[in-house]
Amino acid sequence: MIKIKRPKVEPKVSAGSMADIAFLLLIFFLVATTLVQEKGIMMQLPPDVPPTETPIKDRNLFKILINSNNQFLVEGELRNNLKGLEKEVKAFVMNPNNNPTLSEKPSEAIISIKAQRGTKYSYFIETLDAIKEAYYQLYGERVGLSSSEFRKLDRENPGENQLYLTAREGLPMNISIAEPDKINP
Amino acid sequence: MRIQKKTTSNPEISTASMPDIVFLLLFFFMVTATIKPKEEHLDIKEPQAKAITKVKKKFLVKELNVGFPKNRKLGDSPRISAAGKMVNLQDIGQWVQEQKADLGEAYKDQMIVLIRADEGVDMGIIGDLQLELRKHNARKVLFRTLEKS
Repeated sequence: MIKIKRPKVEPKVSAGSMADIAFLLLIFFLVATTLVQEKGIMMQLPPDVPPTETPIKDRNLFKILINSNNQFLVEGELRNNLKGLEKEVKAFVMNPNNNPTLSEKPSEAIISIKAQRGTKYSYFIETLDAIKEAYYQLYGERVGLSSSEFRKLDRENPGENQLYLTAREGLPMNISIAEPDKINP
Repeated sequence: MRIQKKTTSNPEISTASMPDIVFLLLFFFMVTATIKPKEEHLDIKEPQAKAITKVKKKFLVKELNVGFPKNRKLGDSPRISAAGKMVNLQDIGQWVQEQKADLGEAYKDQMIVLIRADEGVDMGIIGDLQLELRKHNARKVLFRTLEKS
């Protein structure tokens, strides 16, 4: 038998549409996925043991109460908003002029938040945010950073960890969240 | 004088590397983004805050949602859900144990509970939830908030 030699045709797949396919996939993933955002206000809750009675001097306690009408009672003073709370917290914690009504030492200062059951969550977060911001500003000022720069410090980097520790030394963030009360008439 | 005509060459950018670039982008997005089950049952709009911190070890974060049910049959009071399923307050303990088992022995004490709550819920349910988490020793809590601009 005689083999007839056919002219060889090289099989080619056009790569022109490759970009289109890739774009399609890319757009699918862009739309279908939401970047996980683990950002927020971090809190460490106390352990669930019966509270031990530790006497705390009244001057070391900065009390914030929020009622179910979303009104604030800051150190016995009724308010409708939290303007200026950051400054007050900072002054209370540091007490630069040794005011006898403010905290004795920064390490002794405790900020207490208490909400009622009917309080809206957003008001609680607003309060917590203001207090945290005040503390972060204090930490930042100690090492010459802004509060947001301080929060971005990488503790795995030895230099930055040192800054973090210097800033926090002797100035613990004592925030107490009391369990919400029942609504009282 | 005779002006010499320059030889014209049409300037073209080769598009041959386009697929490569697009694939690179594609892989980047595939790696960084994780597909998350979207919360179907609850309406949640997080509150805004300034003093936000970011969690580095994302695998430590376990999410709980608190919000008002979209479906009116489930009632008007805020409910808790985890991974698309409704969780009752008394089942939080079991949920915590499951999540801790999922993290393994080395990391179970570092678990962070992300509370993604709607800004309109009341503190009653948040307080009850905190109490329940304290009872079951999941005491690191992250209140999910949006960044205030």
